[in-house]
Amino acid sequence: MEKSTSLTTEKIILDLLPQQFGRRGKIWTGILISICLLGAFAYYRQLRYGLQVTNMRDYASWGIYISNFVFFVAISLVGSLITAVFRLADVKWATPLTRIAEIIAVSAIVFASLIIIVDMGRPERFYNLFLHGRIQSPIMWDVIVITTYFCISLLLLYMPLLPDLKILLRFKESAGSGKWLQKLYKFQGSFWKGTKAQFALSERAITILCIAIIPVAFSIHTVTSWLFATTYRPGWDSTNFGAYFISGAFLVGAGGVVVAMYMFRRFYHLDKYITELHFDKMGRIVVLLSLLYLYFNINEYMVPAFKMKKAEEGHLNELFTGDYALMFWFAIITGLIVPIIVLLFKKGRKPLPMFVIGIMVVVGAWFKRYLIVTPTLLNPFLPMQEVPANYHHYFPSWEEWSIAMGTLAGALLVITFFARIYPIIPIQETLTEQHEMEEK
Amino acid sequence: MQNNDSSRREFLLTGLLATMATVGCSDAHPFTPEDPIEPSGEKVKLLSVDGQIIEVDKAFLKPVPDMPPVSIDESRIGIAGKKFVMVIDLSRCKNTKKCQASCNHMHQIHSEQNWMKVYEMQESEQTAPYWQPTNCMHCDEPPCVKVCPVDATFKREDGIVLIDNERCVGCRFCMAACPYSARVFNWEPSDFKLEGVQKAYSPENSIPQKMGTVSKCDFCPDRHREGKLPYCVDACPNGVFFFGDMNEDSVTNGAETFRFSELIKDKAGYRLMEDLGTKPRVYYLPPVNRNFPFESGLETENATDKKVTH
Amino acid sequence: MKWKKNKILPAVALLIILMVPFCTEAQKNAEKKTVSFGISYWMNNNRAVYIIANAKSKVDGKFQPDAGVKVSIYLDKDSSANLIGKYITDAHGLAKAIIPPSLQSVWNASPKHTFLAKTEEDKFYESADAEISISKSKILLDTVSDGEKKSVTVSVSAFNGTTWMPVSGVEMKVGVSRSVGSILAVSDKDAYTTDSTGKATIEITKAKFPGDEKGNIVLVARVDENEQLGNLIIEKTVPWGTAVTPDNSFFDQRALWATRFRTPIWLLVMAYSIVIGVWGTIIYLIMLLLKIKKLGMAEA
Repeated sequence: MEKSTSLTTEKIILDLLPQQFGRRGKIWTGILISICLLGAFAYYRQLRYGLQVTNMRDYASWGIYISNFVFFVAISLVGSLITAVFRLADVKWATPLTRIAEIIAVSAIVFASLIIIVDMGRPERFYNLFLHGRIQSPIMWDVIVITTYFCISLLLLYMPLLPDLKILLRFKESAGSGKWLQKLYKFQGSFWKGTKAQFALSERAITILCIAIIPVAFSIHTVTSWLFATTYRPGWDSTNFGAYFISGAFLVGAGGVVVAMYMFRRFYHLDKYITELHFDKMGRIVVLLSLLYLYFNINEYMVPAFKMKKAEEGHLNELFTGDYALMFWFAIITGLIVPIIVLLFKKGRKPLPMFVIGIMVVVGAWFKRYLIVTPTLLNPFLPMQEVPANYHHYFPSWEEWSIAMGTLAGALLVITFFARIYPIIPIQETLTEQHEMEEK
Repeated sequence: MQNNDSSRREFLLTGLLATMATVGCSDAHPFTPEDPIEPSGEKVKLLSVDGQIIEVDKAFLKPVPDMPPVSIDESRIGIAGKKFVMVIDLSRCKNTKKCQASCNHMHQIHSEQNWMKVYEMQESEQTAPYWQPTNCMHCDEPPCVKVCPVDATFKREDGIVLIDNERCVGCRFCMAACPYSARVFNWEPSDFKLEGVQKAYSPENSIPQKMGTVSKCDFCPDRHREGKLPYCVDACPNGVFFFGDMNEDSVTNGAETFRFSELIKDKAGYRLMEDLGTKPRVYYLPPVNRNFPFESGLETENATDKKVTH
Repeated sequence: MKWKKNKILPAVALLIILMVPFCTEAQKNAEKKTVSFGISYWMNNNRAVYIIANAKSKVDGKFQPDAGVKVSIYLDKDSSANLIGKYITDAHGLAKAIIPPSLQSVWNASPKHTFLAKTEEDKFYESADAEISISKSKILLDTVSDGEKKSVTVSVSAFNGTTWMPVSGVEMKVGVSRSVGSILAVSDKDAYTTDSTGKATIEITKAKFPGDEKGNIVLVARVDENEQLGNLIIEKTVPWGTAVTPDNSFFDQRALWATRFRTPIWLLVMAYSIVIGVWGTIIYLIMLLLKIKKLGMAEA
């Protein structure tokens, strides 16, 4: 008994240790880096020539930078869902997914703050936010709450990593790590000895973190929704907005985790750790969240459409049947309706269909954010007159696309490198659970 | 501020004596209590109408007092004792767009943009169309100021909402917040052909336009300090715009002067989008008993503004 | 800027095309501007007299003020003895002249005078001149307050060499002085004409003009561009207004639109209590982490 356990332990550890990039890994990283570089070049042009390189103008004064920002904030919420909510609810099956969720959260929140700087007309004056910051402005609330969420997420990523760092240090040879990685591990975790006292403290810290992160996560997305809801504009002027944004955020986050689960399982050969059971459970969660989001969508569109106030009319017609109808129905159908239908069936919750649905949810959610930002701005209260023709429409310029895609690629790159350096599935926690199961 | 104010009062109260010594500080207007001119101490001898020699302080002799642009700190407070207000009489507007041209030129606004727009309005199919000049409403509950993260746009004592383009970070939240679409963003570098000596930047004169920041109608407080009406008011050939001070209860378009309260009462003045609670400082007089048929404005529309698309 | 590359060729072509009109443009610039030149006479409150010369010219069909025009102004005769002064117009195209004491004898010699203004021809401007003739005049503003009834009498008189004679038919505006030089009517009319005795009497029928903090208002009578007399202004401060204390309480209040120094208290309390609560927790967590580290170090 004793022997076999230790053998399994060895096996688990070896399976879960970070691996060097294979050929596919290198190609993947190469593609991501090139997209990032293109984005960086586009941003260099934007710095040099100003926001004129974008296709934003006075009416569509916010564009895909802002919708991308909302998307990032939304997807980052998943860290709190999978890690905190499940941990507090003692949902054991979710353990292998916690780190995936946390790193998605951290990298998304980093790029959310980056893209907000990209959107600024005068990024070199960023310091004014600290020098002259006004607490009345929802932007300041967002700055504060994003910083807070970033810190908590980072701690929540780091704390459970400590025991794994010890394992990484122990398995020097098989970790496929060079000297500098060992140095990094040593710097970050050499003080972890795995004593009872340390475990007790760390357990306590993680519990506090899990409780603290939930209200902060709710705040970050509620405040982000207030950037819109605190204005008078049709489509934004809604008391439903906070809840609507949060439900959508949980959905896209869960979708993102499903996609990441599939990719890691496939390319890191983690079939034994991320099993069909996980996909099945995640599928149920995605259905639940989709239904929740659908509920808020109906609230958000049905109620104003029932009244059809003059200011709302143009905006809603444009979404339902006008210029944005194609994108709107695409986002609703692929991002909401199809996932609900497919995932209701057990066969739909198998890994591959789940992967496809996950992508649909994420892509649909991205376009949904675009639809929240742009059409509203192009439906002002006073008619759009006395402006050049290109002020009446908005389609992002190549610079905007490159920068937006660059940040998305950057977020993926952070996740990729993280999985290269650290075990993407918590080793220590998997071992503990294994022991507990065996003891039973 | 207190000090300044009391000196202003003193200036006002010494009344006649002061005005006698004040040989007209601005053209046509000898009495601008809002701009106390500091005596330079240097006296000039001159001849009075009955051939007597009198002495006058040199500072009072300039046709237009050379006021250096006020500092940014001063321009955040405003002109003491004033509550600026504008009345736009829709029954007089013929869409000549002279207001717009003058404003654009004097504020060096990018050729594609306008601070002053003359909207072609029609509430519904059966209601009459009319021309509605619209600039910044200088709201008393300004939604744009509420959302500014860095105090770059601010409300002043005299009611004016201004922008400090040297602080603005260009987040454009104020543009999203403004229900009147009054704000423009300097996407491109100014295409204005600069001539002559440039004034130093001040939030009060708003020039030059600064790339990467938001700008909008400023009610021309720099003009007021010179004893002049805003550019749009001055430029309008039909006297559509009335500008004045609520504390004085008086508005003028240059040729005519009315008591503000009476004008609003007699002609049933109203404000735009009252239901939003923004409390604008721009009032409108309804387009009744019009001076021009609506159609006469269409000519300018077709002739001058090729950029316009509907 | 992305269009720049693909448009180098057309740009070169455009440049060549542009060169042609540029030459004519340069020629046009060499042509001197013809200044539209005017001169006016002003008298304030019967004391100081001044002359304003006004230079403007048409640019693209619109009059623009001409700054930097050299102007010489003479009294009666275009001779150096009668020179009032040499001036340069300012940014508004204006030059203002006062009569120097040296011309006292010339001024006193006649009840009527002609002011001559000349601009010298220079690199930019053709020469131009203007003149205006005026009679020496006086304008007086008297007020009568009989309890409820209040009235203003404005009298205008001109000097004939020996005495001051009333001038009839002088048009003027009378009212309360308001900002930017505007005059707010005190009765149903705002324009009046002097009668044969050179007087115009205006009964104040409108009431409650906002004045300063003590209720003072400034009554003003203004004659604009009278052919014989020029521009005359007379003012008188009277305590006939209602006292108005500027109310800045709206500006001083704590509000969502106020500056960061006047944030509403409720918002400050909410924001700071949340921030302190959450960051207190974060700091506690970091302390826990340090404790873990310390334990580990002790173990080693």
